Amino acid sequence: MMRADKPAASYAKVGRRPDEVTLKPDGGQLWHRWRPPFSRRHWLAWRGRYNPKSLQRERLLVDKRPLWWTLGLGGLLIAVPFLSDQFVNIAAIFCIFAAINVIWTLIVGAAGIFSLATMAVVGLSAYAAAAANVYLGLPWPLMMPVGAAVGLIFGLLLALPSTRLDGLYYALLTLGIAEICRVSISQIKALAPSNSSINGVASFIPSAWHLQRPGLLLGFAGAFVLLLCALLVFRLVNTERLGLLLQTAREDEAFAEAVGIDYRRARWLVFVLASSALGAIGAFYAMFYRSISLAVFSLDQLLLLFAMIVIGGLGRSEGAVLGTAIVVLIDKGLIGLGPLRIIIVTAVMIIVALTAREGLTGIKAQFQAFRNRKKSERRAARTEKGGEVMPEEATEISDKQLIYRRLFDKRLRDALKSSITPDLIAEHRAKPLGQHSDALDRLLNYFRREEMPDKYAILRVGPLRSCSYRVMALSGRAGHPPRLVDDKLYPTLDEAYHAVFLLRINDLLAS
Amino acid sequence: MAEKKLYGYCDPWTVKQGETLSFMISAEGTDTVDARLVRLVHGDEHPDGPGFLEEEIDCDIPVTLNVQRQFTQIGAHAVVEDVSRRLVPAGDFTVYGFVFPTRPGGSRQAILSKWDIMSGKGYGIGINTEGRLEFWVGNGELIDHVTAEVPLRPRAWYFVAATFNAATLEARLYQIGVVNRYNSLLGLVVPIDYDSRVAETFRVMPQAPDESVPFLWAGASEENDRRGRFVGMLYSGKIDRPGILNTALPPEAIAALAQGELPSTDAIIAHWDTSAGYTDRGIGDVITDVGPHGLDALGVNRPVRGMTGWNWAGREDSFRLDPKQYGGIAFRDDALTDCRWSPTVTLRIPNDLRSGVYALRLRAGESEDHIPFFVRAATPRAPLAVLMSTFTYLAYANERLGFDAPIAQAITAHTPIFSEADIDFYKLQEFGLSTYDHHSDGSGCCYSSWRRPIINMRPRHRNAATGVTWGLPADLSLLWWLQHAGYDFEILTDHDLHAEGAAALRPYRAVINCTHPEYYSERMMDGTEDYLRAGGRLIYAGGNGYYWVSGLREDEPHCMEVRKLDNGSRAWQADPGEAYLVSTGERSGLWRSRGRAPQKLVGVGFTSEGMDESQPFERMPDSFHRLIAWMFEGIGDREEIGNFGLGLGGAAGIEIDRYDLALGTPPHTLLVASSHGHSDNYPLVSEEITYAFPGRGGTQDPLVRADMTYFTTGSNGACLSIGSIAWSQALPVRGGDNNVATIMRNVLTAFLRPGPLPGSEFVGDEKLWR
Repeated sequence: MMRADKPAASYAKVGRRPDEVTLKPDGGQLWHRWRPPFSRRHWLAWRGRYNPKSLQRERLLVDKRPLWWTLGLGGLLIAVPFLSDQFVNIAAIFCIFAAINVIWTLIVGAAGIFSLATMAVVGLSAYAAAAANVYLGLPWPLMMPVGAAVGLIFGLLLALPSTRLDGLYYALLTLGIAEICRVSISQIKALAPSNSSINGVASFIPSAWHLQRPGLLLGFAGAFVLLLCALLVFRLVNTERLGLLLQTAREDEAFAEAVGIDYRRARWLVFVLASSALGAIGAFYAMFYRSISLAVFSLDQLLLLFAMIVIGGLGRSEGAVLGTAIVVLIDKGLIGLGPLRIIIVTAVMIIVALTAREGLTGIKAQFQAFRNRKKSERRAARTEKGGEVMPEEATEISDKQLIYRRLFDKRLRDALKSSITPDLIAEHRAKPLGQHSDALDRLLNYFRREEMPDKYAILRVGPLRSCSYRVMALSGRAGHPPRLVDDKLYPTLDEAYHAVFLLRINDLLAS
Repeated sequence: MAEKKLYGYCDPWTVKQGETLSFMISAEGTDTVDARLVRLVHGDEHPDGPGFLEEEIDCDIPVTLNVQRQFTQIGAHAVVEDVSRRLVPAGDFTVYGFVFPTRPGGSRQAILSKWDIMSGKGYGIGINTEGRLEFWVGNGELIDHVTAEVPLRPRAWYFVAATFNAATLEARLYQIGVVNRYNSLLGLVVPIDYDSRVAETFRVMPQAPDESVPFLWAGASEENDRRGRFVGMLYSGKIDRPGILNTALPPEAIAALAQGELPSTDAIIAHWDTSAGYTDRGIGDVITDVGPHGLDALGVNRPVRGMTGWNWAGREDSFRLDPKQYGGIAFRDDALTDCRWSPTVTLRIPNDLRSGVYALRLRAGESEDHIPFFVRAATPRAPLAVLMSTFTYLAYANERLGFDAPIAQAITAHTPIFSEADIDFYKLQEFGLSTYDHHSDGSGCCYSSWRRPIINMRPRHRNAATGVTWGLPADLSLLWWLQHAGYDFEILTDHDLHAEGAAALRPYRAVINCTHPEYYSERMMDGTEDYLRAGGRLIYAGGNGYYWVSGLREDEPHCMEVRKLDNGSRAWQADPGEAYLVSTGERSGLWRSRGRAPQKLVGVGFTSEGMDESQPFERMPDSFHRLIAWMFEGIGDREEIGNFGLGLGGAAGIEIDRYDLALGTPPHTLLVASSHGHSDNYPLVSEEITYAFPGRGGTQDPLVRADMTYFTTGSNGACLSIGSIAWSQALPVRGGDNNVATIMRNVLTAFLRPGPLPGSEFVGDEKLWR
């Protein structure tokens, strides 16, 4: 026989096999935890725990990103030698753009400065480095330092208005600056006589290998190292002191300022550092192509970069790299499709923007939040019906006695509700303390045994002989004061007792 | 909320005329307070009584006192001064100990540390916010940690150690479970691998912190501009036999330590044998270092000693049987036994100040505080003494059952009534707990001290949970009535009785108890018993008296200890094996469980409690016997005695006691009056219940009643017991002229007259015609 007050719905079985590989370490074994030099962090974020079901101890890799990075970048490194020339080139271009985007992410994500002058810094530095090589005979190994220096100076100039202008205005300003750079360079004939481009730039790729397979492979290798360097810079800035300061500022500027964090300076520092890194990438860019042209400043290029970041997810290095991979593959890999590629990129961008709040790399968290919301909705619906714990909820309650308590409580409340009559209430009003009828005693006993949070109590206001009373609810947490329930004042204690009683009756009937 | 906050306490509580006591005052929002010596005359503001009354007394205390904020260090910990900084080795070292964490996680806790939180120098082993064991070192610039792989289980014994190799900067952290069948919360059926061994290479060496930073157990040193050095990162749990070695021990040697072997002597910098120095009369606060430098640790805020250790095998159930199994010292992060404030003012009691309850009244703006104390006669002159229940005041000091105990409302059948001052005080959480409260780790509080502000020791204070005055503010009703009725009396305190035994009572022809003399030491029991035996006359006008075995350490009267054991109406229950008082070495719990039920001493003992309403007494047939009939002179045969009172409207109620031959009530005792009609909110107490069955409440169980009993002792001695807290609180009603007062007058008149007691000749065999 099923009890009448049990919900008719059948129970679903719960329980599943582990979906994650965990190590099963032995506590008797010494566990060496290795760190990167000069760091207090560990290479891998392992976390030990007792499996709550079996109490067996497990070692989980909490942050699996190093794994994905190794798989992704390692896979690329292994795959490239087997790819066609075209795809080797695409892989190299991917690495360069990924490097640019990773650094840009630092500016936009970590520093929170919405600069669109990224490609302007890259281009300007590329021009400077190329010119230094071609006109001044600077050997190619020094081109990157020159690019970095130019990026640094340009970054300093760009940084000046960044603290004065907000978001959109600053973005527009930087867009303007990029355009000014393009126009200026196109007008300096001495710098770039032919078609505003500088050609014949020296490179780490021997000129004999230019556009040959060994050259392409070497170009890729260089670009790959560039990407690794960009990721290292990202990591050092974003997760060390500077990044932590900025994170505080992103969460709450006023709080950061109040605790003495000079986040404006930190932002400025990150911006200048990143600009310098972009400058170095610019020099690499010129070397890689052995030339530099105005195309680097084009709005198309910038918007493509923007699409990469949006698709991957703003503010994360893995987002920048993943977005770059997708867009580069469409843009360069499907070159046969012609202008349709741009439409495809746009379509992908729109779909991602509409569905994923934080880009592709934010999907996991978004999905978990979605699942939790649905779970809460379903549980709330069931609780309204039965008030009892379903098997899936029981998995989350470690003290199983609480599950019984809830069931018992529900049934007791149902029984008590039916006992409430006007006579009963009148009995209490007439005599709040002392011996009562059995029905009233049972009800009062239930009320008095409730848990502490939100349990009612009485506040005496003023000296005893001229006092009045108010009703409060206790916090249930040591040191946390009770809160007043309403603003009613009761002249006598008996009236206050009765007011508490009525509130409790009300709560009971409403439950 | 008052803008100006005043709190204070005095030391000692009880002084004789001519003696001196100090007042420690802390104030916020003001630099000066108005101080006035007052005699507390009546403390209950109940409209049926005379209300709050005090008399101002001229004395040599300045009228205006300069005051400042004083800070309170809470949390039990132990300090090793270590000025020579031996405990921060320059080279390799190992730090180790057995631990039993009771609240791992939440806040950072330091188990053993030479660590300056502010400068980040030194090292420590402790528990991080996730509940994992951690060892850390810092050189002032950088801090390095090594963390155990799995969290510590609460209430399990572990051996923990950290080794540091100065050459390689390698730190190793060891966490080795030493759970046996008895010593921990969980037993051996649980398939848990408690162990963890982690090695990590640090970047830094520990640098010795400032000289002022001590080596600490259960905390780490912190500094604040206003407050100076204090202890933070407080640890909750037990520590057993820790130490520091001048070498980084290899794993085999660590394993040997975890088995309880001693480290080799030449490696020891310090090894504290927590089980050393135990006597069958108790244990002190000094923790002995058996190493070469004698770096003893000193417990602050009374870490609880003599607790079951890591190697407790369950067979021995007291530290007196095998100290080696009782090396555990329990630290609780909210323990407080001494605020250690500096004295604001001292008072020499004038020789002509008559014995009584006094207070230093402080006022600043709207704020007011009373710091009560007790003045006894340097040379007793009065025939009557009132014994103030200072042990019980301590037991209930700062209790907060109304706020914290889920069952409080069910016990009292009452909705608690708080004042604004109660709420302000609750928010502070700064002045320690009562023996009715639990520490933050869930363990019961076994120590209570007067060296701290105690809000419920103030006149006018009403107990929130029960809605009546409790303890001192209630007891003032008796003093008011005695004064009103013209009796010449002096006061004594439990502490005087404890210190002097029967000698404290002997100068008085009669002694009267206050409402609730619940906590009694052995010497107090003996003193009372000897006084009665030698012809003393005792009026036990209270409820639930002579109940808990409690004790004081010699020369430290401010701090009382009790352990609530398996029996009795108990707010908590001591852990297995932890039943003995560390202050005296005797088993605590109920006196009844130790062969001295209250009935044996005074004829009645605890039977029920309820806080909804009190009842009157009714005369029982024995009250018509000439042995005692004189006591009911002026009382009608069927008159209800005390159907009124400040204590819930009756003379019999709140906590009530019963006559029981089976518990040792003297066989010739007369049952002269009893109460009827208690509600079911007066259930029979748990120590009476062997098998539980329904119907043990006042409407169904005849054991639920208050009894008034009378018996004579040798040498014209006698004991009248009125087993009810509410009795004295009925005295002030109707201006102090009522039938409760009539009985009191009759008794006092008889008891204060030397020679044979009235009616004592009526001991002939009964030859009745009726």
